This record gives sequence, structure tokens and C-alpha cells, in this order.
Amino acid sequence: MERATSTPARTRRPPVTALALVLALIAGGFAGWAGWDWYDAAHDDTVAYAEQRDAALAAGEQAVQNLNTLDHRSLDRGLDLWESSTTGELHDQLVSGRDAFAEQVKTAKTVTTAKVLSGALTELDDRAGRARVMVALRVTVKAPGEASTDKDSRMLGELTRTDGHWKLSALGQAPVGGNPAN
Amino acid sequence: MPTTRHHLNNARRRQARAALRTPVATDTPRDRAEPPARPRPAAPRATTPVVRDAPPPPGADTDPPRQRTPRPRPSRALVALCLLTLLLGGFAGWAHSRAEALRDTPAARDTALSDTARTSQIKGQTTKAVAALFSYDHADPEALDRAAGQWLTGPAVAEHRKLFGAIRTRAAQQKAVITTTVTDSAVERIEGDRARVLVYADQSSVSTAGDKKADDDGTYAGAMLALDLERHKGRWLVSGIDTFGR
Repeated sequence: MERATSTPARTRRPPVTALALVLALIAGGFAGWAGWDWYDAAHDDTVAYAEQRDAALAAGEQAVQNLNTLDHRSLDRGLDLWESSTTGELHDQLVSGRDAFAEQVKTAKTVTTAKVLSGALTELDDRAGRARVMVALRVTVKAPGEASTDKDSRMLGELTRTDGHWKLSALGQAPVGGNPAN
Repeated sequence: MPTTRHHLNNARRRQARAALRTPVATDTPRDRAEPPARPRPAAPRATTPVVRDAPPPPGADTDPPRQRTPRPRPSRALVALCLLTLLLGGFAGWAHSRAEALRDTPAARDTALSDTARTSQIKGQTTKAVAALFSYDHADPEALDRAAGQWLTGPAVAEHRKLFGAIRTRAAQQKAVITTTVTDSAVERIEGDRARVLVYADQSSVSTAGDKKADDDGTYAGAMLALDLERHKGRWLVSGIDTFGR
């Protein structure tokens, strides 16, 4: 009886208010689901792993290409790039052998360029920050007074993540028939 | 009694209307003047707005007073609900598009390595396919045709014939045995039922023809090629052979 005063308003509005309530609830349900879905996608390990894989492969291909590219006219720039593309033991080797190698290239006056034909990771441990990469490479060497020669290289590399960047820590050619390829 | 009450109600309604028109000046005294006529104490309603403060007494529920209530205008609750619906709906759409964007990156679509089962299945089948497709034994020349029928599909059929046709003819003449073994393989990408694999393989060739004794040790060559694969009925078939222009 005491609610009599408010009853008229209620009996008139219910359809609209109830409809609005139902719509709000439905929207709330969608919002909750979409929010969860978004959270799920953002925290999906598989996506993070796939991103690491692509980052490692891109860095690996670039590094392998860098290490097979050298122009005797801009030796320092080329060798700096070698050093910045590598880490660990490979980096140390390059640094210690730099001067002797620079002399060789200066004398030979060669221009070496490389093109990545194809590349893929064979393994990836994204927590440890280690990966192995295969890079099929076509190396073109131009020596003065000679026609340039093409050679395909089957590179196998090892990548290590340092400070968030993937760098080559080992690089070699796949052996043929048990013997290293030349 | 009902008649009296009716008149009382009418009087109250008039008062209330007057109160609406001149709220401050008139309503308080009249409101105070009324309680004696009420069958119930006015105290509990003392805080309710003036308009509602002239309710019909019990038993007068069906009386016209309800028409006195203001024209139905959207209540605050309704407005709030509509706003809430819009906000929630907007958030849902936005969050959904964010999630889709995260999942629809090229990196996420490619399941090479991240789908370990599929990756190793592809590598295993590639190893078998390459060994079967690029090996030749003069003692069993049909094996190559069987392998082609078993592993090749689409343009790879013609590519394989072009690549291996001449080698096969020469090997048949020299009674050679060509053996191809995959030494390294890596899956470049997997997108649904399509994949691409990079393969390094050793190819040995041994001639058993009598006058080729010197070559008996055979020759070794390293090969690299990329294969496009397609999944048909659970098996990965070679649909393209890329020898990088060599």
C-alpha cells in the first residue's frame, strides 16, 4: 500500500527499463568475454614465442648476410657491422682477427656481396635466448679484373639473445658427406 | 464516508497542483494543515517530495491521482542503463578488435616451431619425401615413379621431372645408384595446411658400370632446396620444389 505512489511509474515503464537492463546485461556479458579474450591473446605464450621466432630469424638472416658482405673500399664500416652482428666466441674471433683479415681484403681488393635465398630456424629456446638457424645464401665475389663469381653457401648458425637482440654466436657451413664444404 | 474521502482527495489534489505551481510559498503550510485529515501519520513521508506528498489514503488506490504524476520521462536508471550498455558494448567491440589484431599478426598465423607436433611431422615427412624423390637405383627404376606418385602434387610433378629427368637417364646408362639424404631441415613457415621447408641434403652417386671402377668411391655433393608442402588427408605432399634457380 505504501508503494502505491511509485507503482504507476513502474507499471508504465517496465518494458523499456527491463529491456534496457537486459541489453545492459548482454553488453556486460560481451564486454566480459571480449575483455578476457583480449587478455588471453595478449598473454598468449604462443604469440610471444612466434614473435621471438620471427625476430630471431630476421636477425639471423641479416647477420649471416652481413658476415658475407665486405667491400674493400669501406672495410671499417663492413667490419664494424660484422662485430655488431655477432656476440660471444664468434665476436671475439672476429675482433682478434680483424686486422689480419682487413689486410688480406685490402690486398685482394675484393667486393663480396651476399643474398639470402631462404632461411629458417631449426630450434628456438626463447627462455634461454638461444636458437639455431639455417640460411641458404648466394655469395657473389668480385675481384679486380675478374668476372664476378657466384657461390651458394649452406650456412648453419647459432643465435644468442643479448640485451633483447638476437646475434650470431657461431656460424659455419653445413658439412657435405662428412667433410666440411669448401 | 467514501464520498467524503473523495472530496478530501479532490481537495488535496487541488492543493497539490497549487503547490506545484507555487512550490515555496504555499506547500508547506498546506502540507502541515493536512495531517489531521489523514488516516495515517504523515511522519514517514515527511521527507518525500511535495508532489508525492498528497497520496490517496488506503482504499483509494484506483483513484485518478496517478494521472497527476508527471508525464513519464526517462528515469535516471533508464538513462544510466542505456549509457552503460553503450559503454560496455563499445568496450566489447574494442577489446575484440584488439584481441583479433593480436592474433592476426603474421607472426601468430605462422605456426612453424610454435606448433611442435606439426613442425616435427612436417620435418619427418620432408626427410622421407626428399630421400624417395631424389634417389635412384638402376636396379629398381620404378621406385622413383612410385615416389613421385606418392609424394608429389600440383606443379611439383613437372618440376621434379624437369630436375631429375636428365639425372635419371644418365644414371640408368651408368647403372648408378644415387642416394639423397637430408642432413638438415627447418620449417620456414606453417600456415594452416601449407608449409615451406628449407632442406640441406647430401647426394652421393655411385656408378656400378664395369668401366667406371675409378668412380666407385662415388661423388658427394651438397644440395640445398626449399619445398612447398600441402596437407592432403593428413599427409604432407610436395607441391613445389625450389632449387633457387640452380
